[in-house]
Amino acid sequence: MPESRNSRLTRPETLTALGIIVAAAGFLIPTTALRPISALLPAAMLVGLIVLSVALLVSDQRKARAGEPAKSMTQAPKRVIGAFLLIVTYALACDFIGFYVSTAVTIPLVAWIFGYRSPIGLLIATVIVVGTIWAIFDFGMSQDFPTGRFWGH
Amino acid sequence: MYSDLLHALPDVFAWTNFAAVVIGVIAGIVVGAMPGLSATMAISVLVPFTFGLEPLVALGLMAGIYNGAMYGGAIPAVLLRIPGTPAAVATTFDGYPMAQKGEGGFALQVAVVSSAFGGIASAFALMLLAPPLSKVTLLFGPSEVFWVAVFGLASIIFLLGGNPVKGLISACFGVFVSVIGSDPIYGNDRFTFGQLEMLDGINIVILLVGLYALPPVIDLLETPLKTDGVSSSKLGTQSLWKALPRMKSFWKTWLRGSFLGIWIGILPGAGGSMAAFMSYNEARRTSKHPEKWGEGEPEGVAAAEVANNADTASALIPALTLGIPGTAVAAVMLGGLLVHGLQPGPMLFRDNPDIVFGFMWQFLFGAILLVLLGGSLATNSFARLLNLPRPLLGSVIIVLMLIGVYSIHGRMFDVYLMLGFGAIGWVMDRLKFPLPPVVLGLILGGFAEENLRLALRIGRGDPMILFQNTTSLILVALTIAVVVGPTLKKRYIDSRKKA
Amino acid sequence: MLNFFKKTAIASAMCLTAGAALAEYPEKPIEVIVGYSAGGGTDVMARTAAPFIEKYLGDGASLVVKNMPGASGQIGVTEAANADPDGYTLGTFNLPGMMARTVDRKADYDKESFTYLANVVNDPNVIVTAKNTGLDTLDKLLEEAKANPGAVTVAMSSLGGDDHFALIKLENATDTEFTIVPFKGSAPARTALLGGHVAMGILNISEVAEFQDQLNVLGVATKERSEFAPDLPTFQEQGLDLVNGSMRGFIAPAGLPEDVQAKLIDAFSQLSSDQEFLDAMAATANPVEVVTGEEFKQLTADLHELAKGVWETTPWN
Repeated sequence: MPESRNSRLTRPETLTALGIIVAAAGFLIPTTALRPISALLPAAMLVGLIVLSVALLVSDQRKARAGEPAKSMTQAPKRVIGAFLLIVTYALACDFIGFYVSTAVTIPLVAWIFGYRSPIGLLIATVIVVGTIWAIFDFGMSQDFPTGRFWGH
Repeated sequence: MYSDLLHALPDVFAWTNFAAVVIGVIAGIVVGAMPGLSATMAISVLVPFTFGLEPLVALGLMAGIYNGAMYGGAIPAVLLRIPGTPAAVATTFDGYPMAQKGEGGFALQVAVVSSAFGGIASAFALMLLAPPLSKVTLLFGPSEVFWVAVFGLASIIFLLGGNPVKGLISACFGVFVSVIGSDPIYGNDRFTFGQLEMLDGINIVILLVGLYALPPVIDLLETPLKTDGVSSSKLGTQSLWKALPRMKSFWKTWLRGSFLGIWIGILPGAGGSMAAFMSYNEARRTSKHPEKWGEGEPEGVAAAEVANNADTASALIPALTLGIPGTAVAAVMLGGLLVHGLQPGPMLFRDNPDIVFGFMWQFLFGAILLVLLGGSLATNSFARLLNLPRPLLGSVIIVLMLIGVYSIHGRMFDVYLMLGFGAIGWVMDRLKFPLPPVVLGLILGGFAEENLRLALRIGRGDPMILFQNTTSLILVALTIAVVVGPTLKKRYIDSRKKA
Repeated sequence: MLNFFKKTAIASAMCLTAGAALAEYPEKPIEVIVGYSAGGGTDVMARTAAPFIEKYLGDGASLVVKNMPGASGQIGVTEAANADPDGYTLGTFNLPGMMARTVDRKADYDKESFTYLANVVNDPNVIVTAKNTGLDTLDKLLEEAKANPGAVTVAMSSLGGDDHFALIKLENATDTEFTIVPFKGSAPARTALLGGHVAMGILNISEVAEFQDQLNVLGVATKERSEFAPDLPTFQEQGLDLVNGSMRGFIAPAGLPEDVQAKLIDAFSQLSSDQEFLDAMAATANPVEVVTGEEFKQLTADLHELAKGVWETTPWN
């Protein structure tokens, strides 16, 4: 049974190919401002990406027409998006609030949300990881981690 | 000069200097084994700290870390399919399948013995052949280096995976990322969008951590209850003495890999990843059963690991004699030498023989210590980390990724960049785009461009400069042989089969 | 929201500055921002000088070097320019690079953004040729360049740096024309020279001192012979007016309290007579020439003019 037009366009490979084409075309714009010799390699790669993505798109659409179902990228989209958002939030928190506070909160939080719920285990793991990082990097190597832009420095 | 070598030996055995190597090797293995942390990062964090240390203590630490990390990178590569260092990418090809088959312990033993073999060979090359080998480096001007880069890029065709279109998309992506930053000749910005942080280009560690470490972390969190992780009980560890006889047949691969690693090490710029890829390709090409490669062939692990350690000491040959580091790690180490007033150049060996030759001994001992320390550390204690509950392992790796990327330049910008590559990496991973072409493209793309354009400037625009000497022509012939050879061989075999 | 926080922070820092100026400076660690990675020439200069500055500031002063590498030092120097002018943030400064960057790209600082403390290192340019060229004197080189304009290839570390300006000065002074081959850094340029892949190179004296036997060093671009390599003749001795070099020093943000500025400049000016410091610098290939305060500022202004002039006639990107 042929897929509906809509679901044919939302196949992961098709979407990716379209994404690459748009992004590569976008990056082609600044190449016009460069000297030809500077623009040569990047432009060649971008055109290559566009051509290859068109090939990918065509082959994926052929598969779609043949009725081959597209494999979905994940069985648990909510968990994947959640995990990615948590990681981004953690990075932002390090930047704005400070590394040690964010890390001490993130390790148990992520582990707890994703299914590890032993309070003692979480506590031990957090203390060991944060403590080791502090001992080696801060105390041993006087390496500074972000202290948080929020606090003015 | 060989008497200088012996003269330097007693100092190396001063207990502080020797302890430095031991600590360095252990620290290196740990750093390499932590997904997200890399040898480059570890040594760059260490350099300012070594200012107050005795030269041989500082250099011993660095030699140890370098050797240790090149092996340590294999541990997560085998157990989690996350290469701990850029050079361990090729180790994942067969190491991870081995671990899935319950042979993870043997894979790590192959890795440690191969790493030590490569490291020892490389240390001997540095000790005995540094001055003549530095003359070899001098033969390689921009046009020759350009052909080396092309030779390396050509090997991408063996890394394309099942779908060549996707493989080529990966390669184009890698090469494109390599041109981001300032133009190699004019210095004007390319695709930096006004960000000063991008002017020096995208550091390989940032890309690697994003592409290789983030997707597995998401996997760990996505299906936390799935128990396909390789636990240490399933490692199938046996004693090293029982494992050694199974490695007897690897000697050819070890010799070839060492040679390739040493050779690529003395050429500036390319480094361990290229050595490992090429050694892997060569070993597969000459294997009797190439079809088994990629499905858990121990020789594949041996080929990759011997080569990525064989370039450690040899990368220091151009660094010490000419001031041009052969790898990113050697570049950071060069800074460590400068801190102690060791100016690279022909005079270095004459002015500071005890330190320079002592440093070389430390490389040798670092490589030997790898078997003792790496053998027990890796298989007995380190792999137990994988017994951690998956969500906890995932969250710890996230923290390590942030530290590793942040510490390279001490800025959050790189962390955000890494997360961006991570998102791309996850999509690529799920849609089965091969990742090795991206890595090789990034390492060699801009490198090839820079040298091509320098060569053309030297030739004042005349492309014939690229074919004007023997070294170039040999490299062109080699490239053609590597690309066309396998196809011809296949046709020949096919035609024989028909007949 | 964030801006509000920043403004409050700046305002409170200003109050602190006023307070700090009253108390005896320095009463907390002084941060020195280095725009390059640990182990680079500028970093080694900063770390070598730090204990001596601590000694001359007295009262248990402490200098902490902080590396902020990237964009040829531009990230670090921008950070230093925009720091609070309280004397607790200093920065390293490279000439002519830092001024050339204000000419060839958008920079968030200019020559008025700094309090000029001291230039410490002056690494003069040298002209070298590859052994296989046979061009072993300046006259032979200039003869060849005049006979075949553009035929001589010149290796250097980058465009828009001291090497490049030295070449422009040479071309203008002798009415010659060369083909520039800008490598990424001086070590690869020197290696190409050693291998005979390029004919001539413009480098710095510290970079060729260890290679004098493998290269022809034709002259040094200083007024008087460099103490770093006293046996090498200057260009002026050979009848060519060519003085140029790469300089590294220390700056603070503009608007430093006067007493703090005076105290810092006083500490830096004592470096030039400290033999222990000079020895330490010589061991790390840093030819010392201390220029402080107003003179340093004038030097920077001159180099800014030079960069602007070159950019107007022959822009390099």
